[in-house]
Amino acid sequence: MDSGEGPARPVTLDIAVEDFANDSLAPDQTISHHAFLLPEETIDLGGECVTPLEDSTATPSESLLERLNDQMMESVMISDSPNISEEDDVAPIDSFLETGDNEDTGELEASVSAVGKPDVILHANETEAELDQQESGSPDQEVKEEEEGNDQKGQQGEKGETVTVLVSAAHTPSPPSAMDEDLAMPSLMEESLKDEPVPVCTIFSQGNQPKTLVPDGFQPTLIKSPSFSMASGGGSDETGTPSKLTPPLVCQPSPSLSKFFSDNGHMNPASDFFDSFTTSSTSSFISVSNPNAEAHITPPTPEPGLPAVPPQPQHFNQLQAAFSGSDDPFATALSLSEVDRRHDAWLPSTETRKVLVAVATQQYNQAYVERDRITMPGLKFDNLQSADAVQEALLRRVPPTSPVAHSPCVCFVPPPLQSGKNWRAAADLTGRLLTAHGQGYGKSGQRTSHTSDSLQLWFVRLALLCKLNLFQSAEMEMEPFGNLDQPDLYYEYYPTVYPGRRGSMVPFSMRLLHAELPQYLAKPQDALDHLHSLKNACTTILKNLEQGLAEDGSMTTLTQENRQASIQLWSSRLTRSMYSIANCLLSMKDYVLAVEIYHSIIQYEPQQRVQLLSGIGRIFLQIGDIKTAERYFQDVEKACQATGSHPSHTTNVLMNRAFVHLSQNNYAEAHASFSQVLKVDPKNPVANNNAAVCLLYLGRLKESLGQLEGLVQQDPAQYLHESVLFNLTTMYELESSRSTQKKQALLEAVACREGDSFNTLCLKLV
Amino acid sequence: MEVNQAKQEHLLALKVMRLTKPTLFTNMPVTCEDRDLPGDLFSQLMRTDPSTIKGAEALMLGEMLTLPQNFGNIFLGETFSCYISVHNDSTKVVKDILVKADLQTSSQRLSLSASNSAVTELKPECCIDDVIHHEVKEIGTHILVCAVSYTTQFGEKLYFRKFFKFQVLKPLDVKTKFYNAEVSLSWRMTDEVFLEAQIQNITTSPMFMEKVSLEPSIMYNVTELNTVESGEEGESTFGKMSYLQPMDTRQYLYCLKPKPEYAEKAGVIKGVTVIGKLDIVWKTNLGERGRLQTSQLQRMAPGYGDIRLSLEMIPDTVNLEEPFDIICKITNCSERTMDLVLEMCNTRSVHWCGVSGRQLGKVGPSAFLSLPLKLLSSVQGLQSISGLRLTDTFLKRTYEYDDIAQVCVVCPFMNES
Repeated sequence: MDSGEGPARPVTLDIAVEDFANDSLAPDQTISHHAFLLPEETIDLGGECVTPLEDSTATPSESLLERLNDQMMESVMISDSPNISEEDDVAPIDSFLETGDNEDTGELEASVSAVGKPDVILHANETEAELDQQESGSPDQEVKEEEEGNDQKGQQGEKGETVTVLVSAAHTPSPPSAMDEDLAMPSLMEESLKDEPVPVCTIFSQGNQPKTLVPDGFQPTLIKSPSFSMASGGGSDETGTPSKLTPPLVCQPSPSLSKFFSDNGHMNPASDFFDSFTTSSTSSFISVSNPNAEAHITPPTPEPGLPAVPPQPQHFNQLQAAFSGSDDPFATALSLSEVDRRHDAWLPSTETRKVLVAVATQQYNQAYVERDRITMPGLKFDNLQSADAVQEALLRRVPPTSPVAHSPCVCFVPPPLQSGKNWRAAADLTGRLLTAHGQGYGKSGQRTSHTSDSLQLWFVRLALLCKLNLFQSAEMEMEPFGNLDQPDLYYEYYPTVYPGRRGSMVPFSMRLLHAELPQYLAKPQDALDHLHSLKNACTTILKNLEQGLAEDGSMTTLTQENRQASIQLWSSRLTRSMYSIANCLLSMKDYVLAVEIYHSIIQYEPQQRVQLLSGIGRIFLQIGDIKTAERYFQDVEKACQATGSHPSHTTNVLMNRAFVHLSQNNYAEAHASFSQVLKVDPKNPVANNNAAVCLLYLGRLKESLGQLEGLVQQDPAQYLHESVLFNLTTMYELESSRSTQKKQALLEAVACREGDSFNTLCLKLV
Repeated sequence: MEVNQAKQEHLLALKVMRLTKPTLFTNMPVTCEDRDLPGDLFSQLMRTDPSTIKGAEALMLGEMLTLPQNFGNIFLGETFSCYISVHNDSTKVVKDILVKADLQTSSQRLSLSASNSAVTELKPECCIDDVIHHEVKEIGTHILVCAVSYTTQFGEKLYFRKFFKFQVLKPLDVKTKFYNAEVSLSWRMTDEVFLEAQIQNITTSPMFMEKVSLEPSIMYNVTELNTVESGEEGESTFGKMSYLQPMDTRQYLYCLKPKPEYAEKAGVIKGVTVIGKLDIVWKTNLGERGRLQTSQLQRMAPGYGDIRLSLEMIPDTVNLEEPFDIICKITNCSERTMDLVLEMCNTRSVHWCGVSGRQLGKVGPSAFLSLPLKLLSSVQGLQSISGLRLTDTFLKRTYEYDDIAQVCVVCPFMNES
């Protein structure tokens, strides 16, 4: 680049020279001499040829946009950032449903012309025709099914949804360690489970009544039951009985939780289950259905995945007084699972510790713990489903007369190997399960009891809300949890329910996510504070382990094996929290510290050396410091050579070279390097996409577009990714005046494949 | 709005997109442990997500490039790159297409098109692509004017234009300060000038300062004082990371020495002199480059008046109440001969030894005298030497010299006791 622009004379700044000769001769002929003279002047970069900047206070981009709209007939392409905004999400879908055809188009037209792109105006009729064509042209069975389904749907709104929670939880009476291994096996994404009976909670939707449809497209989402974590004892052989349940069509469905909450086997599982909801001395009636009360006698039938005909679910209202801890706590303490201890260990604050000790020594009745020391969560959002972005986009873009619009669920007919990206549906499900737990909508601020399962549900909900970019909602729902250190979030607080169990009921992953959350809400300093305290806890626990103590610093003796496993677990948690800190710093643009921390992760995760060094190199490229980036990339090459040839390493090295070329404005070389990656690894989505991007910068729009389009068509699983689609739509906009139709086709492709959480903003559908 | 209507009649469509550098996609890692409720669902998803780094999924910064998402800001000294695409939307072949791109600034109009030759024909669904580059050299409103002329199948000549307006903003705020050092560290009289340049990043993104150098005028040699010599490689005074966050300011320091041939001419440099100009090269996201030069920095040489007094020798540390020697150099900077009388006035701390009011004799223009003097200090600490008065008996003018230099006065008995 430098050579290309060499002849061009650099820009010259005009300088406003001020009179700085402050020690010119005084008239009285008296001169005072100083060692230093300090004249100061300001260089005016503007010069005379410059139009004065109007409204310099406005942010440049905004004022620019306004100006574009004011005076220009055509505007430069300006696209929204693909980040989803929360306001859009919360809008109920009904509003879109209600808007008439004309209104809708009118609105669209208005917004389009406001942006100044008259060529994007959508004519409803046109679109409709186009859609019909496409539909008839596609031999897609799903569409036909849907069309049939339409008739059935009739006027039944979304209330007609029927959610069945099918839970098939089975576990073999195996020793805890073996059990653990089983559980670690990846068992998701596949309908047919492995031979190994892994307790699985299957959640899917099923129309029980002929008139109802499933508008929200619950996919058979396999969620591993948390019960496996507790199924350590070989005590009872209760089997997960798949159960089927039709919840009433009310706002608070009570899904079957059945084995979902199988507890440790030392106690009556049924009473355990109820304990989990009613141990606190509240006298509220909670409607739960627990087929397990009967089912635990059923012999183990390992038929996971197959919804064996379950016994009719039983609904009963159960009032259960607090279970009196009749078990010998010491005996149970002995059998406390090592795994539980390892994972649940945490360091409560001194305040909390005091309360916990008091509870343990039975000086303290839980009922009398001050309210502000108690966690009282509740849902803040009843139904997220209504804000399904994909559906919404479909409804907006497609006139209601079209059959597709009538049945947005066309997209949710389970595509094969649907990997469960329906985060909204899943988040709603967690909401329903929490409602069943008495922590439902509006329950915030009411006394409740926690179980490890309810906290797992909260964790999943938090994770899903984050995945949906609904950070504000997540923050609101997390608010009652405080800093996750209230005494009622520890097992010790419930000696009767969890006799002998110690540690935090809040999973580490939830602490991590909770700590990261403020970062997404423009409060990165808070996030850093939380993350650092997490990191400190991890280091303290590791220190305890190295000193021969248990994780929490108690004098328990651990076997060497257990100690090693603990150290491994906690150092992996340590690096995870360090990653989060570094990521947070990176998003704060504090590159110095971010690089430092990424660098220090290498000592804990030497196998990630290549990736981390490459990542640091890319950070330097982002800053613009190409020399330093090249130094890191050289280190990567050395590290790759040291470990021997490995295809992924070749890819890494080539990729890094491509990025350097790119940063030197040498798009041709960059493209060549990305193409080289493709020779080694033809399916590499990153190299494919990046090569296409380089082609655009080389002025080869058609080729670039052809490449990306081909990729999306051939391998939608890999390429229906936000970033690729964003690039593709940008190129569509650049290519022709008919980008809207092409974008719509993409939307339909997305709708058929991706879950309900897909970020449709990347399609820039105005 | 006329363009809108006219546009529908046109067979060709013109699209323009600014090509800033692409960005790297960042993902949001959400992880859980195998023991948690979602099992390995999240980690599985992260592994299959094409935008994550395989093997280090928790690393936020991915490798996927995304095209620029908006027009962004453009700053003086950066290169404006633009993709211009003319697409045949019609079903007919179009002939003799000429695409012209001009940039209208407030002072001039530049042609940016690479070629001025017409394309003979354009089939339906085909396009003419052009990527233009231009280094912006003016601040303020710029208008990119794209004109397309073509001939239809029926020989009808058509023409349309589109305008794209953007503002060029100022990226840096540069302030300079001069420090005149009359004596160098070796207490030799010099005419060294130190230039401090404060450079502030007034953009909204971090800026890597690739080069900030001072190109001196022919009168000066420059030494950059922005690295600390340690070992073989000099380390930057700004630390390892040479980037400037938005609104951060950084001070660069340069030492300028007059070249001997200029310094010895007339003994001193008088009046306004040109020092040189700053050359600044910066880079931002993925090597987006910008370059600016200041105009010639000018300095008013300190007015020495008729007589310049400088020090040739002075100790840095002296003992309390113990006389010490200094050597003053008195230069006649005027155009006439002077007859000088030296008076020495004691101050609170400095006491001169010797006779005050002695005749120094005649000093011609540009001639100088070396004058050894003796004095002592009665107060400890850093003391300023003041109180010299020179009187030109021809014109009866008195020149005062205060704060000529500083010495550190220490008590010699402190160490022994």
